[in-house]
Amino acid sequence: MDRALRYVNRILLAVAGVLLLALGLAVLAGGFDLARRMGFDFPVGWPWARPEDVLLSAADRTRWRTESWWWPAVLGGLALLVILLLWWLLVQLRRRRLGEVLVKTGDGEGALLRGRALSKVLEAEAESLPGVGKAAVRLAGRRTEPRAALELLLEPHAEPGPVVGRVAGEALENARTSASLEELPAEVRLRAVRHRPERVL
Amino acid sequence: MSDERTQRLPTLEKEPRTSTGSGGGDLEQATSAAGYGPGGGSGGGSGEGGRAGRFWSVRRLPAGIVALLVVAAAGLLLYDLVVVRTGGSAMAWRRRFAHELASTPVNDPKVLAAACVVSLLGVWLIALALSPGRRGLLPMRREFAGVRAGLERTAAALVLRDRAMQVSGVQSVRVAVGRRKVRARAQAHFRDLHDVRGDLDSALGDGIRQLGLARQPGLSVHVQRPKKR
Repeated sequence: MDRALRYVNRILLAVAGVLLLALGLAVLAGGFDLARRMGFDFPVGWPWARPEDVLLSAADRTRWRTESWWWPAVLGGLALLVILLLWWLLVQLRRRRLGEVLVKTGDGEGALLRGRALSKVLEAEAESLPGVGKAAVRLAGRRTEPRAALELLLEPHAEPGPVVGRVAGEALENARTSASLEELPAEVRLRAVRHRPERVL
Repeated sequence: MSDERTQRLPTLEKEPRTSTGSGGGDLEQATSAAGYGPGGGSGGGSGEGGRAGRFWSVRRLPAGIVALLVVAAAGLLLYDLVVVRTGGSAMAWRRRFAHELASTPVNDPKVLAAACVVSLLGVWLIALALSPGRRGLLPMRREFAGVRAGLERTAAALVLRDRAMQVSGVQSVRVAVGRRKVRARAQAHFRDLHDVRGDLDSALGDGIRQLGLARQPGLSVHVQRPKKR
């Protein structure tokens, strides 16, 4: 459902992974003296070209300290990093819910349907269908193009395929037509309540 | 119990059994790894509603953990730098850390071990970023446009277990639904084991087809007598 966040998370995780992997491999290559063993040369200025090189020498750490741009750059960069990372952290904790759905009446007017109301109706209708024990519905997307995420708890002896068919054909279809939406894309997740096996003889 | 054992001897001409890996205990169990190969069968993952791909996780938890760790480190460093810039003194850990960085060579065992860990962590994060995740959720056939459905593997296992319990002779059964294969281990307290196994094969085969999955998992059925007490 949260497609944008999924891309952001995966890209940033990949970036972090590549950085860590590059750092680790660079140190390992220096530590095992790979350049001499494999017969190649690290580029000039490579920090860990020989096994005796330290991780970060005091000279390297303080090299640009006298430059006028150094401290503003370091502090500004760190502050920006912290702000962006805080935003990234906070969006993980937040789940977007659609507040309202725009119902087109066909005569140029529109009505606003509360998203909570639509999802409650969807839940109630899904739960009334045979095979569905409990339903939880979350609406996301935009108010002109809402999307639904359904989580259904199957009753014992329910058949998953037909249950999805009934939910899609009845509950979702009714919700779509009653809100006069052109389409209501949905993601349905089926779970089941653990129950004791029954002997049938 | 013992008469079943003698009665079952002439059943060798039944359907050929595939490998069981269970040694010579064949008299007391019957196994099949028959059925439909993974990915085979009709449909092939596409229905009217388009291709049924895997469900891709948002990766909230790993992203949150990485964000938290990096923000903590960067925030602490920023705070300490600002303190030093405004005339305070640096925290002791940062002095010690800077000293260690400037005195440990890269062929120090501790450094090499840390570099290994960091590299593996990097590989793991890359794998998290590129793999779909949500391995517990089996995609279902898309029969309605715009509706993607998935069945939890635990739910599929319960449905199949209920089906298996309806085969007569089955006293108890454990069904494990993997992502490519369904394994059923049943205990039959009466009837011929091969008959029970055949019935289970067809019952579970029907059951798997009726789950409505985009990709039919394979099936292996294992039947044995309950352990004597």
